[in-house]
Amino acid sequence: MPGWFTIAKWEFFRSRLKFDARSSAMLIISLILVVLASASAAQTEMSMNQEIYSISTTEPGLEHILESDQRFDTRIVTAYEASQFYRYGDDLTIIGNNAYLAQTRKSAAAGSALENTIKEYREIVLSSYNDVNNSHPVWVTVHDVERPQNFQLLSAEETAGRLEAGTEEDEERQSTAYTNDENGEGITPDTYSSGSSFMPPEDIEELDQYQGKTFFQRQTISTPTHFSPPIPFTAILYAFLFIFPIYFVSQFYSTSVMDERTNRKGELILVAPLRAKDIVIGKTVPYLLVTLLIQAAITFYIMGIPTAFEGLKNVFLILATIFPVVLLFFALSFFGAILSRSFKELTFASVFLSVVISGYLFFPAMFTNIHAISSISPITLIVRLIEGESIMLDTYMFSTIPFYFVGLSAFAFGTFIFREEDLFTQKTIKEKIVDSFEIFLSHRYGSVFLLSIVFIPFVYMTQLMLIVMLFNLPVPYSVIAMIIFSAMAEELVKSAGIYTLFKRKLADVSLKNAVRLAVLSGTGFFVGEKAVAVLTLSPIASSAFGSVMTMGTLLLIPLLLHISTAMVSSLGMYRLGTRRYFMAVLLATIVHSAYNMFILRVILFG
Amino acid sequence: MARSGKSYKKIRGIARKEFSELMHEKTFILSVLIQLFIASFSTFLVIGLTSFYDPTAMGDMELQGTKIAVVGTDDNELYNLLQESKLNTKLYSDLTPAYTDFYERRMDAIIIIPSGPPQGEDILNVEIYLPKSEIKSTLISMQLKEPLEQFEQQVRDIRTQRLSGYSPIDVNIIKRGINTSSTYFEFVYVALLPLLVFTPAFISGGLIIDFITEEYERKTMELLLASPASLLDIVSGKVLLATAIVPLQSFAWMLLLRLNWIRISNFFEILLVVTIIGLILVLLSSSIALTFKDRGVSQLLYSMILIFLFMVSYLFTNSPLNLVTRLSIESIGSMESGIWILIYSLVAAGLYVLMRATVSKNTITFKR
Repeated sequence: MPGWFTIAKWEFFRSRLKFDARSSAMLIISLILVVLASASAAQTEMSMNQEIYSISTTEPGLEHILESDQRFDTRIVTAYEASQFYRYGDDLTIIGNNAYLAQTRKSAAAGSALENTIKEYREIVLSSYNDVNNSHPVWVTVHDVERPQNFQLLSAEETAGRLEAGTEEDEERQSTAYTNDENGEGITPDTYSSGSSFMPPEDIEELDQYQGKTFFQRQTISTPTHFSPPIPFTAILYAFLFIFPIYFVSQFYSTSVMDERTNRKGELILVAPLRAKDIVIGKTVPYLLVTLLIQAAITFYIMGIPTAFEGLKNVFLILATIFPVVLLFFALSFFGAILSRSFKELTFASVFLSVVISGYLFFPAMFTNIHAISSISPITLIVRLIEGESIMLDTYMFSTIPFYFVGLSAFAFGTFIFREEDLFTQKTIKEKIVDSFEIFLSHRYGSVFLLSIVFIPFVYMTQLMLIVMLFNLPVPYSVIAMIIFSAMAEELVKSAGIYTLFKRKLADVSLKNAVRLAVLSGTGFFVGEKAVAVLTLSPIASSAFGSVMTMGTLLLIPLLLHISTAMVSSLGMYRLGTRRYFMAVLLATIVHSAYNMFILRVILFG
Repeated sequence: MARSGKSYKKIRGIARKEFSELMHEKTFILSVLIQLFIASFSTFLVIGLTSFYDPTAMGDMELQGTKIAVVGTDDNELYNLLQESKLNTKLYSDLTPAYTDFYERRMDAIIIIPSGPPQGEDILNVEIYLPKSEIKSTLISMQLKEPLEQFEQQVRDIRTQRLSGYSPIDVNIIKRGINTSSTYFEFVYVALLPLLVFTPAFISGGLIIDFITEEYERKTMELLLASPASLLDIVSGKVLLATAIVPLQSFAWMLLLRLNWIRISNFFEILLVVTIIGLILVLLSSSIALTFKDRGVSQLLYSMILIFLFMVSYLFTNSPLNLVTRLSIESIGSMESGIWILIYSLVAAGLYVLMRATVSKNTITFKR
């Protein structure tokens, strides 16, 4: 029996014992309470905005319309009182047929709310007549049609657009059919309408049915009143549904890792004839399995129990997409649990990391159905799968590879320092991180060259995060901040290995070594960066556009840049010593940013 | 009196110890970072929402770039409505040339206008072709909504006369120059502001669990109890600190929102509500932590209760979240808000009694 399996079994039973009768009972009670509260909250249509606008009306006939909307705080007044509404401080006053607003933003918002309420009420009244031809005479049918992207678009958009293009077979058939018509065989409105799916609704029930579909599905048929642009925020609901349980389980997981460390509880396992790898895998697998089971349950809840093979395949694909996300969550909580010195620190670290990962997942997913760039986030792929579209393998790779890489390497670095001197001592976080680099570098195949490559996905994800963080700054400043921060991230990872070698005396602090290591580290980073570029840009590599990006003399300049900035920090450490590490990195960052700003001067300064 | 004075000093001592530890571990800074991240994330949401519901906020540049092909005849009412709006339209008599132009990017959308008369018996179906996966299709849908609704209204004006007993509601909303959508306004005051100011309270509730369970897990509680401080002093000190940092952070949030030109009324009352709710959460989770002494279990239970409270706040008008909303936009009288602040203070007092009871229960087991 392999070692990790024993640990896994042990971990599983131990964590079950933690829930004694009392805490299980409390949890079940609170779960029931949550379900009850959610059910009754759903009854109120989940609106929190109660009584925020005050309205006075002289028309008692309008009262029941206004009271159907809980945003309004309504009272009936006489015409005289209404005419003095400024004194009563109402947001909206209705006298006869006219609704008067005050000159504030709140009043304007109240006016817009009233407009919507009346519209909704009208729909309800009209729907009570079962006469679609007269009550809902106009319908809108929307067709989404693929068309070639033009080359002025950003390269990443281009890539993602191409990736998508292959996935929607249905639409593609449509668009190829249309492409053919350029050869003279024109389509006429007749040919198109035979393929149109519009069936005029027979009665009011069908109207409801169409409306009901719009929440999780892209709307295709509706009346003008219910016609809405593709709202980007439905994707968030999915993200919440899938991410919440992961967050909970990973908390238990990191607590369990931390438990081994408090009061040297885990010393016994370390003494046992097991490799660190086995212990880590053993401790992780039970939690990973539990999370995947929960995710499977959620998937079945959303998709229903599949009857055909096609449905089963989609469920499997959803799980395959969520898996790297779970892996990353767990890897970071594991690493966090190894680094933190107290539970407080762990709580903050895990909250911080979950917020960061959630941001990474949410931000692009908001543009599902709108923008090709959204496929950066696995959640987008999940939304598409739920909507019944298919996903190509390269789209899957495009959005999940960073998760796999970062997850697995965080696990690897955590496992390196899963040993007595790092687990049971109050070493600072920095020391522990340097420890993990040291073990990597002193391995037979370890080198600063490889270390730089390993860090690429981290830098890649960090830079994507930066876009989210800096989004709200005004334009030239956000680009400048972006340049500086991403240069800093790149310089930090390129010099981390050199720092470790010098600091731990693994290499002589000599001029020759400083130069040699800088060349190795810079080249490694360059190779990794280009590998990522080729991987994500490969679909367009054959076009003229792609060849400009990946070929030619332009290659040499970034290579030189990476080597020379790494040289700045390594020579800095050679001259000033490793104590001035951050100064050396800062210097390299300045050089790097200056170069990038020079390249982008047109965008920055017009 | 002297007894309580000494006790207060001990409580303050404990609070100071926790505070210096908090600063030492830089966790507090991390917590502020988390919140800053959430804030920048929400600003993104605000910008997104503004541009989606209020296209004019995006500037005219992007709107003028879209061209719409209309297939139909020029005497059609919908075509006239489309022309009247700010849309850039071109009339086609046939779908084929319109489609060619769409495919070659000279046009961004196609509308096929139904040919039936408004007074007819058939349903009028408007066909719209939008470019897939392009941000333009969202923009176009948004711009088309208004003329489409006007068209629907015109046809309805004729056809609803055939419905027996139907009389349309007729309210003229007289606008006063300020244009804002209720969605945007409500997003800022109903969702963003309450979530931001309550985030520190949620965090403090989790923080105190760590404060307390850590002492048990590290077996340092016995050491502390050997000192002249009683268990009540220790827990009170921790509660004091966890609650005290709530208004500080909330204050920073409100200041930040004000810098973003979001006007907030009743500043002081909002801080008071947030502090009381923070105290409620901290007292609640300290009782949980004292009962279970295990971090994982306590945190899970606390999260469940937090979700429960969140759901319950949908059920009544002056829930803490909505109370903050109503205070911030002056939709509540000072009498009503005063009563609710009093109610929440009473809840806090009740939970303090519960916490004391839990403490004395645990003290007995410790003395053996």
